[in-house]
Amino acid sequence: MGSAKLDGQVQSDWRWLIAAYLFLAGVGGGAYLAGVVADLAGGAEWMLVSKIGVFLSVPCVLIGTFFLLADLGTPTHAWRVWMKPGTSWIARGTIIIVIFMILAAVHTAFWIWPFAGPLEVNESARHFLGILGALFAFLTVIYTGLLLGYSQPIALWRTALLPVLFFVSAISTGLMGIMIIAQSMGIAVAQLDLMENIDAVILVFEVFVLAVYVYNAYRTLESRPSAQRILSGPVASYFWLGVVVCGLAIPLILELMGRHGAILTIGALLGLFGGLCLRFTILVGGIYTPMRAAGFEFARIHRPKDPIPAMGKLPPS
Amino acid sequence: MALTNASKVKEDVWIPTCCGQCYCMCGIKVRRQDGVVTEVEGNPDAPTGRGKICVKGLASPHLLYDPYRVNYPLKRTNPEKGIGVDPKFVRISWEEAMDLIVAKMKACQEKDSRGLYFQATTTQASEIRYGVTGFMRAFGTPNYWVSGGGLHCGNGAHFMNGIMHVAWSIIPDFAHCRLPLNFGCSKGHGAGHVAVQNATQAADARAWGSRTITFDPMQSAQASKAHEWVPIRVGTDGAMALGLVNVLLNDLGVWDAEYLKYKTNGPYLVRPSDGRYMRDKETKKPLVWDLVDKRPKVHNDPSVTRVQYEDQAHDVALLGEYEVDGVQCRPGFELLKEHVKKYTPEYVEGITFVPASTIRRIGKQIAENAEIGATVTIETDEGPKKIPKRPIAAHFFRGSQGHVNSGWTCLSIDMINHMVGAADTWGGAMGLGAAVGAGYKPTGKPYQIPYPDNDGLLMCRAWVYDHVPYPLRKPKPPTRLDLHDMFPTSIYNAFTIMNPKWFEMLDVFKIPYRPDIMINFGSNSVMTMGNAEIVTENFLKKFKFIFSFQLYITEFEEAVADIVLPDTCFLERYTPAVSFPSTFSHPTGEDDWGWTIRQPVIEPMYERRDFNVVMMDISKRLGILHKYYKALNDVTVVRYGGAMSDEYKLCEDGSEEHTWEEVVDRMLKDRFGPEHGLEHVRKKGVFTWPKRKEDVYWKWFNPSRVPIYFEYFIDAGEQITEICRQFDPEKKYIGLDWSVFKPLADWYPCPTHTEKNPEFDLHAFYWRAVTQTNSMTQQNPYLDEMSQEDTIVFGIQMHSRTAAGKGIKEGDLVWVENPEGKKIKGWVTLSEGIEPSHLAFAAILGHWGEYMPIAKGKGAFFNDLVMMDEPHTDPLTLNQDICCRVKIYKA
Amino acid sequence: MARYGMVIDLNRCYGCYACAMACKVANRTPPGVFWARVLRGEMGVFPNSVRQALPVLCNQCEEPDCMKVCPTGATYKTDDGIVRVDKDKCIGCAYCVIACPYGARYKVDDWKSYFPEGLPLSPYEEHTKQYWEQKSGLGVSTKCDFCIDRRAEGKEPACVQACSAKARVFGDLDDPESEISYLIKTKRGFVLRPEVGTEPKVYYLPPR
Ligand code: SF4
Ligand code: SF4
Ligand code: SF4
Repeated sequence: MGSAKLDGQVQSDWRWLIAAYLFLAGVGGGAYLAGVVADLAGGAEWMLVSKIGVFLSVPCVLIGTFFLLADLGTPTHAWRVWMKPGTSWIARGTIIIVIFMILAAVHTAFWIWPFAGPLEVNESARHFLGILGALFAFLTVIYTGLLLGYSQPIALWRTALLPVLFFVSAISTGLMGIMIIAQSMGIAVAQLDLMENIDAVILVFEVFVLAVYVYNAYRTLESRPSAQRILSGPVASYFWLGVVVCGLAIPLILELMGRHGAILTIGALLGLFGGLCLRFTILVGGIYTPMRAAGFEFARIHRPKDPIPAMGKLPPS
Repeated sequence: MALTNASKVKEDVWIPTCCGQCYCMCGIKVRRQDGVVTEVEGNPDAPTGRGKICVKGLASPHLLYDPYRVNYPLKRTNPEKGIGVDPKFVRISWEEAMDLIVAKMKACQEKDSRGLYFQATTTQASEIRYGVTGFMRAFGTPNYWVSGGGLHCGNGAHFMNGIMHVAWSIIPDFAHCRLPLNFGCSKGHGAGHVAVQNATQAADARAWGSRTITFDPMQSAQASKAHEWVPIRVGTDGAMALGLVNVLLNDLGVWDAEYLKYKTNGPYLVRPSDGRYMRDKETKKPLVWDLVDKRPKVHNDPSVTRVQYEDQAHDVALLGEYEVDGVQCRPGFELLKEHVKKYTPEYVEGITFVPASTIRRIGKQIAENAEIGATVTIETDEGPKKIPKRPIAAHFFRGSQGHVNSGWTCLSIDMINHMVGAADTWGGAMGLGAAVGAGYKPTGKPYQIPYPDNDGLLMCRAWVYDHVPYPLRKPKPPTRLDLHDMFPTSIYNAFTIMNPKWFEMLDVFKIPYRPDIMINFGSNSVMTMGNAEIVTENFLKKFKFIFSFQLYITEFEEAVADIVLPDTCFLERYTPAVSFPSTFSHPTGEDDWGWTIRQPVIEPMYERRDFNVVMMDISKRLGILHKYYKALNDVTVVRYGGAMSDEYKLCEDGSEEHTWEEVVDRMLKDRFGPEHGLEHVRKKGVFTWPKRKEDVYWKWFNPSRVPIYFEYFIDAGEQITEICRQFDPEKKYIGLDWSVFKPLADWYPCPTHTEKNPEFDLHAFYWRAVTQTNSMTQQNPYLDEMSQEDTIVFGIQMHSRTAAGKGIKEGDLVWVENPEGKKIKGWVTLSEGIEPSHLAFAAILGHWGEYMPIAKGKGAFFNDLVMMDEPHTDPLTLNQDICCRVKIYKA
Repeated sequence: MARYGMVIDLNRCYGCYACAMACKVANRTPPGVFWARVLRGEMGVFPNSVRQALPVLCNQCEEPDCMKVCPTGATYKTDDGIVRVDKDKCIGCAYCVIACPYGARYKVDDWKSYFPEGLPLSPYEEHTKQYWEQKSGLGVSTKCDFCIDRRAEGKEPACVQACSAKARVFGDLDDPESEISYLIKTKRGFVLRPEVGTEPKVYYLPPR
């Protein structure tokens, strides 16, 4: 059917900056969730881990929003972003994120720094705040998937699997963030081992979700060009090297080997990098579905960035 | 609308003028805001375009302001010439440039003025037929050519259309034609003359249900809009057409007897001994057989003449054998009918790749749709008149005629129309542009009514260039550098001047002078003719001094120009007549006549100067200004429909000088009366007057006939053979086969069709993208960008299956090589819309010039495969063959 | 109040790009921006293959996705149904660009010349740059507005005016007597991607 050029126009408005935003929102949300779970389920010995998770969330999400701001065409107007929460996932999302950041900031401030203590004392208040914060952390993480899913023309994104994938990746990258810091703070080996094992399980699950996601994308006619672009096209190196090798395979192997120290750090860093690559791959893997009408398939021709004409020579003047 | 500096204050005006991005020259309106040209739109007042223009015209602000335009006179300081040589241009003053040029020209004048050679481009057609021709006459040189377009499209198509329709081209009467048959062209679909207006007409036709069949090796714009696309092997349209004529005449027995009897030379009696007409002893007029009086009569004897459809006349014979002066002779029509018998559908299938059953079916469709015998009544100046209604039309252009069989192919295709009487009548094939007109009533100008010669055949009154298509000049010992005088059917040719032995040839043919100076006007012949190296080495480098009026430093200037003069573009100049002679760029159909002018919308920027003004200045410095004026007066007669009256004639005695504006003004006043001078016409950019219906459907209002039996070709062939023999008895220099000069059409193969080496398994040809004209527009960044929007413009089109067989994939870089070893590089774009044994290239891409960076490196340079030698030349019209056999392999 | 729409007759259209160029020149759009665009399609296998052009532009949807996803309210609908962007409100998040099912929106961050970087701008490009910055703006989403400025001068949209095939007709969908209402009714008018539910106001007539 037609020529390869008819594979449609590539999404090019959202690239690294948005990928970083989605990624950091994921890490922040994931770390917070992990932290709260550790607090709720782990008790006192997991306090450090829990604190690291909560502590990580605000800076990650905040830096993430800076990336979002940087991507805006007119950042000075950014305050308008909340004008239409009724219909826009950007409006909804930023509200969610702000609420989450406020909650997480309160959580941090009154538990860890600079007003450490009050929440340490009042455990039930902390748990309550944690659960409330976790809800918004969850929404933050899920929202990054829903945001993309709202795009009608990019079939790769229009699937319920995307929020799931982003959620799983958020938890695992959140955990990795926690592990790096926890290890450097000298946490117990057993705890590290446990976290590694949990993360490995999550990674296996992520592999599964990712496989289903990509397989689905390939199977669906509308998104097949996207899948091809990711699997064997120009984005393939980000996918195979970034996501699969760095983000999943190496961390998984290292975690299963159960080594600590520098190796753990490297594995987790690669895992984080993989999380960023995942967002990027999915963003730039997006291809606008060709238009079908009257039996024809029309694509907005993808024009690889034309070589910018060289200066050549100007006629003497 | 004075272009003064005072108008610099907050202005916002629309100035009507005429586009110059291609030779169609539509009427436009150009917006100027605070001195800056910002928008272009069609001019609804101008019949050429009627408010519509194409993508190229719309993009012209970038042409005007391109930073790569040449703005000052330049001088080459590197004496070495050639492709890839850095010319080392330096800026000089106009005075210095003129001094240099005039000194060279004076020397040339003293030695032999014929050493001057004019080279121009089709895009500047309106300038060529006036200023350029005028200057050549004044200076005294016959040597010129119009590069690119001229040789690829001109010689065959325009010549044959001139003979058959007194027109530059032909086109269906879209308003009424039910079955247009398109042979390798895009008329009505973005290319060809009057492209925009034709597109409107063709779209209207689709809307009312006209059904089109298109023969083309690729799914061109036209083929994709057709109801049937018939993929055909490149260069075989002539065979296809003869096959259809055979189906009509011999399988179906269908022809329009009335038309053939009274509007063609079909009934002229031909003697078998030498194929000549039987002529009346006294008047020398050809004879027809009067079936009522049972005796021969001269062709225009009142008893056998039907000028108007409702006239009465005796029946005359189209078939049979008759005795005249003791000689058994037969009507030309019968000879034709017998002659085409060999083009059986099966035979034609073998040539064209079109199934015999398709040929038979289309033949039947033509017969059914022609409605032979049907009439309509139109309103003429003399009241209502009946004329034949023939709603079918076969037409063609560059694609089908750019081959060895150029002339006969054009004729064969047109023969379909003439067999069923569908020529220049309601619904049929019409001359394009509108070729016939009695002029603006109060002045009777421009008068363009054709008339018959002694043989009764159609002669044009107005024509675009100096050579008229009929009657043929008598071949003469040559004086021109391309030996043109010997070849009466061509405008110019390439095979002589591109020959590596050109100068030897000139010796043999006793040409006493050699090329000396070339004036180039807007052409980039290094790219637009054929293989760049051949053009440069064999031809251009033979000139001692070349100066060029140009917008950019093109590949031509880089390679060979000594001086480059900064020309104005069409938005900065006056042109007195663009839509006339109307057969070049005036729409056909019932809409009004319109005489479009070009006026500047902005004063020339920098040191740009209008070509016309500079040529006038050069004439003055050479002391031939009055001769130049006289020549302009002279060319007006044939070009613009009648001589200049004494009142408005340009001064011929040297007592007066005119500005170029005045020249325009005088022309207008002379044509349309003193109140309709430049001041009047510039307000709308066009002068219009009503078109008579009898000028649109003129066939049955004019006493002329057209040939279907080309008796006079026999003489021409013999004369050419004889003259060549005189100079070159062993055919060492010219070996063309003059036997193609015969009275009846045939199909002869191109080297493409006879290539024996199986390695060269593909046919290559080129087509024209709507977003580009010739080679210049590629530098326009708007058009460059728009061309990239099309999937096929910059790529080499190849059928997916053929590519798969060779392991070639979409986007692969490939070499395409012809049997002569010339090769070009490009990337492949796959498609189902092309006959699988073909490769298609958009013309003319693949610039390499340093001074046109937007154009540089885009697309493949197809012309490099075009050889311009004898085997690729049509002996009949000296048209260039532009297809070739190639092999393709990955780069 | 009128409800403006357009009809594009695919039988008339021969894919000449004049509409796209006219839009470009009328709206001074920078490189890569095509408020009006001509897409190319091919169908079938040789020798029964057909090519067809599909001119596209903003559909001025009744239920525009672009407006739905816009977080700021910069995208709004005028009384006569035209979807516009208020450049002073737009934050340039490009969500609408990604969400429009028809690819009708373009966000331009930096104005670029059509000529190589580093050359002084030509007077024409000075003009187009200024025009673009003033009317459409940088760092914000831009789109076709059915040539609002031209219509204020009493002219047709540029793409309609330019089409030599007269394939494009502009008019009022609410007026049952209008040419476009008539064409849509009598010539099997259809819209692109009806399934996404944005209710486009640009209709197409079938290619044959
Ligand atoms: S201008 Fe008209 S014919 Fe040309 S592409 Fe646009 S809609 Fe089609
Ligand atoms: S076509 Fe796109 S930009 Fe236009 S109104 Fe519809 S959704 Fe919005
Ligand atoms: S209506 Fe105007 S802005 Fe919209 S596509 Fe047509 S020309 Fe462009």
